[in-house]
Amino acid sequence: MTKATHQPLSGRPAQGAFLHRFANPGRFLRLSRWLFPALCAFSGVFLAIGLVWALLFSPADWQQGDAVRIMYLHVPMAILASAGYATLAVCGVLSLVWKHPLADLAAVEIGPVGAVVTALCLLTGAFWGKPMWGAWWVWDARLTSVLVLFFLYLGHIALIQAFDDPQRGYRAAAVLAIAGVIDLPIIKFSVTWWNTLHQPDSITLTHAPTMPSSMLLPLSLCMIGFATGFAALVTGRLKAAIIETRAQQMLTRRARPLSESA
Amino acid sequence: MIHIAYTHWPYIAASYGCALLATLWLGIGLALRLHRATTRLALLERPDARRKPTV
Amino acid sequence: MTVPSSTGTSRHSPEPQGSRHKRRMTRKSRRLWLVLACLGCFAVATGLVLNAFSSSIVFFMAPSQVLKAPPASDRVIRLGGMVVAGSLRRSLEGQTPINQFEVTDGQAAIDVRYEGILPDLFREGQSVVALGTYRGGSAFIASEVLAKHDETYMPKEVAAALQRSGKWDPRFGKPPSSESLNSMARGATGGSNGR
Repeated sequence: MTKATHQPLSGRPAQGAFLHRFANPGRFLRLSRWLFPALCAFSGVFLAIGLVWALLFSPADWQQGDAVRIMYLHVPMAILASAGYATLAVCGVLSLVWKHPLADLAAVEIGPVGAVVTALCLLTGAFWGKPMWGAWWVWDARLTSVLVLFFLYLGHIALIQAFDDPQRGYRAAAVLAIAGVIDLPIIKFSVTWWNTLHQPDSITLTHAPTMPSSMLLPLSLCMIGFATGFAALVTGRLKAAIIETRAQQMLTRRARPLSESA
Repeated sequence: MIHIAYTHWPYIAASYGCALLATLWLGIGLALRLHRATTRLALLERPDARRKPTV
Repeated sequence: MTVPSSTGTSRHSPEPQGSRHKRRMTRKSRRLWLVLACLGCFAVATGLVLNAFSSSIVFFMAPSQVLKAPPASDRVIRLGGMVVAGSLRRSLEGQTPINQFEVTDGQAAIDVRYEGILPDLFREGQSVVALGTYRGGSAFIASEVLAKHDETYMPKEVAAALQRSGKWDPRFGKPPSSESLNSMARGATGGSNGR
């Protein structure tokens, strides 16, 4: 996924560049040694309890019946889709402004996970909407803006792959990530600014949740489980990417003396 | 008290099924990728350790 | 990974330490301001576009909006509102079921006529969105009716208890807030809770 750059550093000792380049990644690898298993364990426990509770022990809704159980999937996916994109935008800023070495790598790994999460949000929404509203899909403001978010994720993934020089791909993707942040407030406020079929948010900062605790509790468990799961996936992918890059660098370093002596 | 969903259960099954499939795909993919990357790195680092320490 | 690329900000150019540090700071803060400025311009542009197209972005019009600015009788629009309690009349024309009901937004009401089977969630006191044409006066012919549900959630048992005790009739609007739900449900089975 990450194409290694093979540009030789003229006049610089390979050893120094190697150490300098992996100063931060090395720290991340040491962090991920305990963080990754911890996140996986947390996520597994919370999801196991939360999803079983949601599917089998939570009450049916008075108007939606059992279809309300889809909410326990749809709402966390929707929140994570927006949060993931916000993280992509932060990585974009870190990459463009501070030139943080890990920011590009993180953006490469977050994009596909975020895209899958957004696709799940749209899919579960369709499965929820058909029995409730009577339609698989409508072009109201909330659904359309989340679809736009999905295409932003796809565009981000595509931009990284599109260039021969990976640096240009990272930079274009960072620009897209920052520009697309506009969509996030649109998603959030679409149900209050315009008349939409999608109902307003049940859980906001301004009013009490319009949901009893018998539903709020399993929803919170699922939310924590999916959020830590997202973090676990991204941490693991980032760890794999750093290891892959390190292996690629070792191969390149080993091949160079052979080619120079030839 | 267990509620077994009887209204709209195909939609519920489809939603949970899609979520499970996606999680498995991402999770197993990550596990394979990590395994492949760590063994590759270990393979590369092992012969280096036998030679004189260059780094 | 990140090789010093040809952007001009090479970290390894031989310069006196002080001026290199100062140049890196200014360049970085300049990049930050550039990013913020571009984002700001983009936000303003998006806001203007959304404002200009806001009439097309709304998924439905309320009855009072339709009466205030009636659309042409051949234009397909969406009408949204609450079904007035007691206004549903079902009839049969040959094989197709005909449903007639009133939709209100609290200020004005419009009669809707729909041929076909209504969605599961349709009932009096529930919001709907009807796709169709406005025929003047108070008549709306719908070709599609979607049920809209609000953001309140309430367990079935609690709703049944509330209705049994007479504290709430679903045909007349939203259920009571969740904060009072626990106390009301407890009071509904025992004595009244004086809400």
